[in-house]
Amino acid sequence: MVAKRKQKQRIILPPELPPEVSEDEIEVSDEDRDFVDQNREYAGFLSTLDTQSITKHVTRVADVKEDALEALYEKRLKRKSLHKEKEDPGVQVDRVDALPVKTLDGQLYYRTATKASKASENDPTEEEASGAADKSIVKLTKAERRAKLKKSKKEAKKQGKEAEPEVEQTPQEAVLAEVKEDLTTEEAFESKKNKLAELGIALLADPASNIKSLKEILQICKDNNHAIVKLGLLSLLAVFKDLIPGYRIRLPTEKELEMKVSKDVKKMRLYESTLLSVYKAYLQKLAALEKQSSFQHVAFRCICTLLDAAPHFNYRESLLGVVIRNIGSPDDVVRKLCCSSIKSLFTNEGKHGGEATVEAVRLIADHVKAHNCQLHPDSVEVFLSLSFDEDLGRAARNDEKHKPQSKKSKKKKHYEEARQLKENDKKRSRQELLTKTREEVAADYKAVALAPDVMERRGMQTEALSAVFETYFRILKHTMQSSASRSEANASLSTGATEPHPLLAPCLKGLGKFSHLIDMDFMGDLINYLKKLASGGSDSENTSKCLTVSERLRCCIVAFKVMKSNLDALNVDLQDFFVQLYNIILEYRPGRDQGEVLAEALKIMLCEDRQHDMQKAAAFVKRLATFSLCSGSAESMAALVTLKHLLLKNVKCRNLLENDAGGGSVSGSVAKYHPYASDPNLSGALASVLWELNLLTQHYHPAVSSMASSISSMNTAHNQVYLSTISPQQAFTDFSLERPESFKPPSDIKKSNNKRKRGSDPSVSAVIEPSADTTSIDEDDVRKKLSAHFMLLRDIKENQRLRAELDGTTSSIQLYEEYKQQKKKAKKPKMKKSRTLLTVK
Amino acid sequence: MRPLDETETTAVFEKLFKFTGNNLKNIVENPSHEGPDPDSGRYCFRLHKNKVYYVSESLVKRATNIARTQLVSLGTCIGRFTHGGSFHLTVQCLSLVASNAKHKVWLKPTSEMSFLYGNHVLKGGLGRITENIVPGDGVVVFSMSDVPLGFGIAAKSTQDCRKLDPNGIVVLHQTDIGEYLRMEDDL
Repeated sequence: MVAKRKQKQRIILPPELPPEVSEDEIEVSDEDRDFVDQNREYAGFLSTLDTQSITKHVTRVADVKEDALEALYEKRLKRKSLHKEKEDPGVQVDRVDALPVKTLDGQLYYRTATKASKASENDPTEEEASGAADKSIVKLTKAERRAKLKKSKKEAKKQGKEAEPEVEQTPQEAVLAEVKEDLTTEEAFESKKNKLAELGIALLADPASNIKSLKEILQICKDNNHAIVKLGLLSLLAVFKDLIPGYRIRLPTEKELEMKVSKDVKKMRLYESTLLSVYKAYLQKLAALEKQSSFQHVAFRCICTLLDAAPHFNYRESLLGVVIRNIGSPDDVVRKLCCSSIKSLFTNEGKHGGEATVEAVRLIADHVKAHNCQLHPDSVEVFLSLSFDEDLGRAARNDEKHKPQSKKSKKKKHYEEARQLKENDKKRSRQELLTKTREEVAADYKAVALAPDVMERRGMQTEALSAVFETYFRILKHTMQSSASRSEANASLSTGATEPHPLLAPCLKGLGKFSHLIDMDFMGDLINYLKKLASGGSDSENTSKCLTVSERLRCCIVAFKVMKSNLDALNVDLQDFFVQLYNIILEYRPGRDQGEVLAEALKIMLCEDRQHDMQKAAAFVKRLATFSLCSGSAESMAALVTLKHLLLKNVKCRNLLENDAGGGSVSGSVAKYHPYASDPNLSGALASVLWELNLLTQHYHPAVSSMASSISSMNTAHNQVYLSTISPQQAFTDFSLERPESFKPPSDIKKSNNKRKRGSDPSVSAVIEPSADTTSIDEDDVRKKLSAHFMLLRDIKENQRLRAELDGTTSSIQLYEEYKQQKKKAKKPKMKKSRTLLTVK
Repeated sequence: MRPLDETETTAVFEKLFKFTGNNLKNIVENPSHEGPDPDSGRYCFRLHKNKVYYVSESLVKRATNIARTQLVSLGTCIGRFTHGGSFHLTVQCLSLVASNAKHKVWLKPTSEMSFLYGNHVLKGGLGRITENIVPGDGVVVFSMSDVPLGFGIAAKSTQDCRKLDPNGIVVLHQTDIGEYLRMEDDL
């Protein structure tokens, strides 16, 4: 850079003159001449020399006398040094000298080339730091705050640097003013930032005396610059997080204000009132900014963090209102923030004693109502993190029972004692005094104790619970109505795009979770709703596609959960849901529907239910076997596990394994198997034979085939009572495609199977044996086969290409011939014409 | 022996519908495999001496050969018309109703005998119950091992059963298979 500057100076100044030598006196040696002769290119510059400008420069000094010349040079030197001095203060717009840098301790540094390079080196780290800061903004500690300030300064530097290049490009003088303007804004930005930092640090250091500076920060937040506003908001957030006390501030009434108070109390009051007013203003600001898209994220980050940190504090209602209004927001970031803050509100009830939970639940319920159940599923899913303490009610009741008894007994004892000690008055009075003081202490303790009253908490819980269930029932009802209306629409239009029910899935999940808390009186209605939903929302069969299979399965599961958790004493048979499950199994498609749900339904409905009718069990056995034939290995594994369960529990159903159709006397009234019957009780499955198992023993998946063979080897004679430990859900997850390690295909299935078939005994265990050890051997074989396959494919491709070419050429030939013919036709009339013309002539 | 007239048909079907619901269709459309005919016929209802019989069509054809006075019974007797004109189901229809039943109740082994002596089903003896029963519905009573024991009329809904005390009546007794011994002469 220094060299560059020298060059520039040389351009500005006329060149120093060579010593005055006449041309004749210059001796050009032979060597020199030779050199020039040999390297003619080197001398090329001579021809391109701008002789005019040189002479112009030189003539300025050429015809001045020697003394005068010296003086002139001196003058020039002076001017040059002056120029240098001028350059130094940094007004000169050069790339490196554009911006002075003010460090933390307030000194100004003028940047040099080396510094600039250093700054550029810093760049990546800066960005890292800023990224880290972004992440950590949610949880700012003091140290992080400091880091953030540093970062902001660095950003300022960066911005300054960004401003430089455009300065370089434009002519210096024109840009000068502009740059100055830029500089001032930069400086203002920086100064504001510094001020923010100072104020923040001061506040944190001594909040009581510096409380006024909160207002200043708030003032800064009204700046036009977006970055400043954001920084201001975030720093206020950090400050408030530290400053907000652990109690709710109650402003003194007028009467209280009139009273004389000590200095400390006054100070405290002032502090609290300022804090509260600024907090209010801050919240209003946030609420206003929340609607502007550019500030949305920052505002929500602030709001959610505040709600997290201080759910007990004043103005919680407005915070909650804003958060819940946006809980179903289409913006992912905002929604995530809102949901997580609400969830933390639900899980950390100790912070606010449960009041905020009730409020939030109520608000969500109203929100759902207002939006007619068309919201993002997240907005209802937050209910899942609610927790209700069941023992609360019971404990309270027990206490009530105990108290009067104990009092009575105490009194009795007291009386007895009194009677015994009648003669001893002194002792009696002392005892009375003791009990009195004890009671007083207890009362005081109760007043001071932090734990909220049990009854109060219980009341809040019931309120929250009723709001939750209100929401759930509303969603169910809405789903039913909409599906009913849609079925009508479908009937008229015959093409109904299925509108999803976004809230149904979380609603069903929640019902399953809180099923033990539902009131008995709601039970009937709930089961009715679920039944209708499970049947697809309406009675007619063609509209059963309104709800997806998974949703319908979920309905069944929820119904069973509700029944199980409430009615252990009375064993209710949910016949209708079994009918639904029986039909849904056929509608299930492995790719489309969620296998986990199916597995769960199988587990809850078939494995865990205590008893089944023989007919029903047989029907399910048959259907599951059919189902496992035509679905993926994971699903069929789950189905087979369930099937085994059923067969182990229902001894009579093992007749299905016998090799004679008809079922004999057990088959009941239905003498023939109806595979398409919709009611499991009327399908007459006992009259059929489980031939599917025999096919399944040759399944490509070794686990499935082994399972099928183990089932088919189970017979009616010996009544083993061991139950397989694996559940259908577990089976499904173990064998689902996401876990490829579970499946090691026996690569020569065909061969082995053929062998077994030819062999005299297709014993089942033999089929499974080869699966493990043949995998490695046949890799070459597979490779050969694959290569042959691909060769064939390539040949086919080649063939197709050639054929296409041939077609092309033949068609072009045809076209050409047509063209020829047309031409001939065209020529003939012309010829005729010309002939006629000739004849006329 | 004659087919039922309209009022009689509605009376019979109404009664059966109480027990079977929509499964009544299965009873009517049940194919019969009796007789020499290769294609299966249907079952039909015939009235003979105040009793209603559930008979296959081929059997009806052959029964025409017997004089009305001489004919004692044919097919399955499912009930009879009282002098007042109302229709009562009898025990013999149990297998028909049980296989198509809509509402069921399973009895605990200890209370089976009580029911078979003609007593009502109490809450205490209830092993299992289908949901969604409404008072007045026909209910088929099973033992825990799925043997039909009889039927009756629901006195309480499933919902109410939950809160009922153990001695409350759940199903009013109508008939049970004990009648085969107790009322041998009447049947």
